[in-house]
Amino acid sequence: MMLATVFAKTTRDRWKGVVVASISLALLLLMAMAVYRDIDLSIYTQLPQTFRTLLGIPEAADAASLGISVLYGLYGAMTLAGLAISMGATSIAGEERAGTIGLLLANPKSRTHILASKATSMVLLTGLGTAGLWLSAIVVPAILDVSISGLHIAAYAVHILMNALFYGFLAMAIGAWTGRRGLASGVSAGVMVLSYLAVGLFPLLRGWESAAKAFPWYYFDASKPILNGVDPGHLGVLIGGAVALATTAWIGVGRRDLQSPNTGVTLLDRLRTHPLTKKLIDRLAGSTRVSRIWIKTASEYQGMLIITAYLMFIVMGVLMGPLYSLMDTTLLRYVDQMPKALLAFVGAAGGDMTTAEGFYQVETFGLMAPIAVMVVAITIGANALAGEEARRTMGLLLANPIRRSTVVLEKAAAMALHAAIVGFATFSGVWVGSVLGGLGMRVGNIAAAAALATLLGLVFGGLALCLSGATGRMRFATFGAIGAAVSFHVATSMVALNDRLVGIARWSPFHYYLSSDPLNNGMNWRHAAVLTALAAVLVAFAATAFQRRDLRQTA
Amino acid sequence: MNSEVTIRTERLTKHYGQVHALVDLDLDVRAGEVFGFLGPNGAGKTTAIRTMLDEIRPTAGRISILGMDAHTQTVAIRHRIGYVPGDLAMYPNLTGHDTLTYFANLRGGVDWKHVGELADRLDADLTKKVGDLSSGNRQKVGLIQAFMNRPEVLIMDEPSSGLDPLVQREFQAMMREVASEGRTVFLSSHTLSEVQRVADRVGIIRHGRLIALESVSDLRSKAIRTIDLEFATPVPAQILKAVPGVREVSVEDHRAVLSFDGKMAALLKTVHEYDVVDITTREADLEEIFLAFYRDEAPAT
Repeated sequence: MMLATVFAKTTRDRWKGVVVASISLALLLLMAMAVYRDIDLSIYTQLPQTFRTLLGIPEAADAASLGISVLYGLYGAMTLAGLAISMGATSIAGEERAGTIGLLLANPKSRTHILASKATSMVLLTGLGTAGLWLSAIVVPAILDVSISGLHIAAYAVHILMNALFYGFLAMAIGAWTGRRGLASGVSAGVMVLSYLAVGLFPLLRGWESAAKAFPWYYFDASKPILNGVDPGHLGVLIGGAVALATTAWIGVGRRDLQSPNTGVTLLDRLRTHPLTKKLIDRLAGSTRVSRIWIKTASEYQGMLIITAYLMFIVMGVLMGPLYSLMDTTLLRYVDQMPKALLAFVGAAGGDMTTAEGFYQVETFGLMAPIAVMVVAITIGANALAGEEARRTMGLLLANPIRRSTVVLEKAAAMALHAAIVGFATFSGVWVGSVLGGLGMRVGNIAAAAALATLLGLVFGGLALCLSGATGRMRFATFGAIGAAVSFHVATSMVALNDRLVGIARWSPFHYYLSSDPLNNGMNWRHAAVLTALAAVLVAFAATAFQRRDLRQTA
Repeated sequence: MNSEVTIRTERLTKHYGQVHALVDLDLDVRAGEVFGFLGPNGAGKTTAIRTMLDEIRPTAGRISILGMDAHTQTVAIRHRIGYVPGDLAMYPNLTGHDTLTYFANLRGGVDWKHVGELADRLDADLTKKVGDLSSGNRQKVGLIQAFMNRPEVLIMDEPSSGLDPLVQREFQAMMREVASEGRTVFLSSHTLSEVQRVADRVGIIRHGRLIALESVSDLRSKAIRTIDLEFATPVPAQILKAVPGVREVSVEDHRAVLSFDGKMAALLKTVHEYDVVDITTREADLEEIFLAFYRDEAPAT
């Protein structure tokens, strides 16, 4: 019965991810709320009214409001939006990439029927995930005996749902028009992250506050629906946007040639055939690229590397320096007075926002730098072994006289190279930003923070590689590593608030990232050594696990 | 062909939970022969090949290739073999030439003149991206990568899939050349006419167990042949049915058609008492033999 319709099959293929995400978020909420319940929250009530409203903290800040708004405002909303993006991007483009679209359309179903089925499934599953968040926000406080009176949880859930669907339909529209799954998910995720950043940054720039309204994330949380209930205007923008994007997808899917799983023509391909550039590009894109396993692996992720490194260099590095000079210092002082718990969630518990170092720690190194390195490292780590198995090329690769451990090590080398490049882009961007903004930050300290971010990313990349090597399952490796990173981050942020639990933080890799405040104190070599050793051990585990098991045979 | 064993499996067994993919498989494949490995889908052919390549590990038993253990000395073995996996997949963003360069690099280099000759023989276009090639043209790239290092042992799982008849013929010639040079070809194929044409011996596998291992000529000579007899006068069917080895008889007027796997002398002795006008004998082809082995497995219709 579950395969009776396109809708049913899509839902069957996807529901597990949504359920796992909902359960994980519920557990994180339980942990966050338990910690908030045990600490003194009076500091929140002393915040200026403007800030309490801005951050969604009710006048009588309590564990429930803080736990829900802090956890769902970032992780909950992004997780659901991420799932919706994944579903939207694969709706048509995923079938094309898998080469199954022809078979699907050989049945008496139109393209728009298939798109509508996939869209319905996406809406249903995103709704299911949202319902999970809503239920957790009711049940967890009840378990912990925490009051949720005065909170508009259902309204918040509706905003989260429409926010996620907006990005899901954006991915669906791009996929429907281009047939390119990677482009659809990459652009949509990029728009989401940039929106999130812009909505956080523009209110701090005098005269630019209203620019935040140009970004979709603004309409999710700016009206603080958890305190004020549904904002019909903001919700209307999200619903209108989603409908417009769904219509765009509907028009696009019927207008173009369907793609076969074949490759597209890239700029490199064009340069490779041009007489003037043929020789050089042929060498770079051809013989050089395939000279070693690690070089070939590295070359496969050039696009992702360029985008990530560019984002970290320009947006999170160079631009932040002059931006800091333009910041409203009064607002920055207020931000600095923000509770440690809130700053901890953006990885900036120790960041003093009135200094350039503190500002960069909050904005660049707090979350974005580790996320950027992790995106690259986890993608390569998870794809390295399980990806070759899923694409059925591992057998052919291992038919050559090379050890499995050599494959693992060369793939790990490509992962380390890309992580280091993102780390270097972050370092050089921040350094240039510091120079342009006249901030006088120490080069060595910037390098230390960037290096620790790189090593932290490599730990989770190493974990993805390890899971990939042990199981051969790409999704398990990817989501396992991401899940571990989120859990460790939240746990580290929360236990730091409770003096009795501080010792536990030492078990988290995040503790060895910013706890030593490298932007002010320089490199903590002991922490660097711990992260390096962790990454190395995980790579060694990956090699051992891969050596011992049968290769998977995928259809 | 010489007597040197290049591939040996000893009581090779592979279980996936309750599924017994291979059971006590004993095989000796000799240098200088093309060995056809036959069986229907799911019989265990690919499992056996993947075990040889150390992609998967046996539950019991062992494999040696070129005298080396397939698990502990797998890297040394892979220096000396060529492999075409079933359901071949390659890197879609690399051209055929880049793909071969990649594998050549991993092998420490190959003779590119030889690669060019192989590409010419198979009429392969190495300038296009693999992802943009048809399945047959992609298969050609896969074949070239297997042949390009002049391997001592070639292990191929359904290598002809997608190839047009002209290229298939060239490919068969290439396999015979390999064997004639004293090297070994281990060929798993459903194209029985191809196996019949190129293989010296065949092994037939069913439900993971080897049920026949013989030279193609022996197999064919032992197999049921069809014999057409034409007489000057009608012959009673029961006379022919009484001959040892006659399985089926169909008599129509002066003509009789027999399914026969006995000794010809006995048959000739019986029919010479009648006025035989003509005898035609047709040797069973491999496909008929294969189907005979599996007839009892065929689903009821």
